[in-house]
Amino acid sequence: MADTPIPLEVRNIKKRFGDTEVLKGLSLTAQKGDVITLIGASGSGKSTFLRCMNLLEQPDEGELVVHGEQILFKETSKGREPADWKQVVRMRAKLSMVFQGFNLWAHMTLLENVIEAPVHVLGKPKKEAIAHARELLERVGLSARADAYPAQMSGGQQQRGAIARALAMDPEVMLFDEPTSALDPELVGDVLKVMRDLAAEGRTMIVVTHEMAFARDVSSQVIYLHEGRVEEAGAPADVLENPRSERLKQFLAPKH
Amino acid sequence: MESLMTWLEARLADNSIFTLQTLEYYGEGLTTTVQLVFLSLVIGLILAVPLAIGRGSKHRWISLPIFFYCYVFRGTPLLVQLYLIYYGVVFVEGIQETWLWVVLEKPFVPALIAFTLNTAAYTTEIFRGAIKSTARGEIEAARAYGMSQGLMLRRIVLPSAFRRALPAYGNEVIFMLHASAIASVVTIMDLTGAARFVYARYYAPFDAFLFVAAIYLCLTFAILYLFRYLEKRLLAHLKPASG
Amino acid sequence: MIDLHGYGPRLAEGALITIELAVLSLVLAILLGLATASAKMSRNWVLHRVATLYTTIIRGVPDLVLMMLLFFGGQIGINMITDMLYDRFGVDIFINVNEFIAGVVTIGLIFGAYMGETFRGAFMAVDAGQIEAGRAYGMNHWLVFRRIRFPQMMRHAIPGLSNNWMVLLKTTALVSVIGLTDMVRVASEASKATREPFTFMIIVAVIYLLIASLSEWGFARLQKRYDVGYGEAD
Repeated sequence: MADTPIPLEVRNIKKRFGDTEVLKGLSLTAQKGDVITLIGASGSGKSTFLRCMNLLEQPDEGELVVHGEQILFKETSKGREPADWKQVVRMRAKLSMVFQGFNLWAHMTLLENVIEAPVHVLGKPKKEAIAHARELLERVGLSARADAYPAQMSGGQQQRGAIARALAMDPEVMLFDEPTSALDPELVGDVLKVMRDLAAEGRTMIVVTHEMAFARDVSSQVIYLHEGRVEEAGAPADVLENPRSERLKQFLAPKH
Repeated sequence: MESLMTWLEARLADNSIFTLQTLEYYGEGLTTTVQLVFLSLVIGLILAVPLAIGRGSKHRWISLPIFFYCYVFRGTPLLVQLYLIYYGVVFVEGIQETWLWVVLEKPFVPALIAFTLNTAAYTTEIFRGAIKSTARGEIEAARAYGMSQGLMLRRIVLPSAFRRALPAYGNEVIFMLHASAIASVVTIMDLTGAARFVYARYYAPFDAFLFVAAIYLCLTFAILYLFRYLEKRLLAHLKPASG
Repeated sequence: MIDLHGYGPRLAEGALITIELAVLSLVLAILLGLATASAKMSRNWVLHRVATLYTTIIRGVPDLVLMMLLFFGGQIGINMITDMLYDRFGVDIFINVNEFIAGVVTIGLIFGAYMGETFRGAFMAVDAGQIEAGRAYGMNHWLVFRRIRFPQMMRHAIPGLSNNWMVLLKTTALVSVIGLTDMVRVASEASKATREPFTFMIIVAVIYLLIASLSEWGFARLQKRYDVGYGEAD
């Protein structure tokens, strides 16, 4: 056990937009098989935190270690930047992200979407990638839509397709950025079911979500963020069932 | 004035190309260009309004010929249109003996006709687009208040269409200014004609053409700013109110 | 049939030159346009300024003036360089500015500026999420450009591209003024010689309209290809 590197370690991430500090020193360690959910009100910084993990946002301070490899930064006149973009590209290939707005590539069919990065980023042979992609589409229940374009699919189908695209990278960690927030309520269930299955088979996942039932049933750890700080963190039973802070209590209280 | 001239002459003393005389060529060229462009734009504009209304007519015998006219004049080079009208007039049998020749002898009139027909075709399309994009609700409101077709056109449709057409028409004005350079091909001494003359006389292409390019650039910017000002004044009502 | 007074073959050759000139200029204009759009979107302010200066000057000066400047000025400029080479190094070469190449370079240069604006707008119209997904999956800049940005941009660029091509096609008529025997030049010579301007000018006009209509059809097909994946729902 000791020699398998930790999939993702994040230490003391700080991020500023102009004058406002949106992340005030956040850390997180994802062991193999962990499902970590980040919850919090909008504006708490949870999505920004997730986007810092694969450097879609550049953190101003803090460290990232992906699968035992420390990401190197350098100071420039415009702020901190990754020192080696090749390293970033390599690291991103290990952390697949699922977006709130799906972001399936609109000019490609679903199957083309799924094989795109494995073929062009990982250099997988096309035949192999297609075979793998078909298996994955089967798993998310979209075999029949392999040749459809994103615009021809419902939001729920697009998001399940996007999950298949993420799986095709054989990622160390999957990052989910509010994967069900853009969906009609009746489509949320299918997507959550796919995510539950992934958790059950031992995928390492970091999930930003508003789905409290999912957080309670599936996660190994829940982190509640408030204004860029960790307000409470721990096992879902502790954090969600016995919240200590007033804010979290209010956040969890049934609306209306 | 006298002292200004002597000052200018002194400035130009050791300059073999930009003498007072060549500057005068450029000055006359500028006048010709402005006249040609201004006249063709004004006449073209006047022609374009009824044409644009007719272009949207339900009667095919009105709309179709206008469509064909626009299609031909927008689809072929202005130079071809200029040649057609210029040679067409010159080579008409016996025209040189008639009184018409007095006006037509100079290439200015054929060029003016070609430019006018060309800009009228483009302007017609610009106006038609603007008329077509009139909000349905505005037309319905006019009908609901009992306006006749003509009154509605005059009071509601055209005023707002003209304003909407302004940015595209600004481009057309700049396009005409630039297109007018081909007048020099039929021996008109416009700005470009002056530059070609100076080039041929002194064999100094850089001086001759860079100078005239700078003048065109200034004119272009002047038109650009004029239209930006007009847009600001006339399209202010379309901006969301601030504060 | 229409009597062409033996000008038929020359007119056909002229039409061929017009088409060759237009197509080659278009290729150059697209390359320049892509470069200009990239420069204008880059964070490097020197590139940005140079590109802005280029598009401003080109769009502020008549095509014909630019053409004469480059054609007449180009010859003198090249002569100056070859003279210098002879004086300094004893290299004796003579380069005659070829009208055809001068035409392609000028028209390409002019329309590169317009294409630059078209491409810039089209690149900006690509949804940021599409690019972000590419980056999130470990694509480098070039891969994102080749696989996502470019194909998606083309969909937005085709209307502008088609429009620029139509204007470019008509602009080729100007090369007759600097002595290239395109179809307008042949028709103009024939008009003067035969005193039948209508016959020749109308033939030329019809050929222009034909090329324009044909390319309109071609662009519609191209648009269909790049529209793949859009708008089939709802």
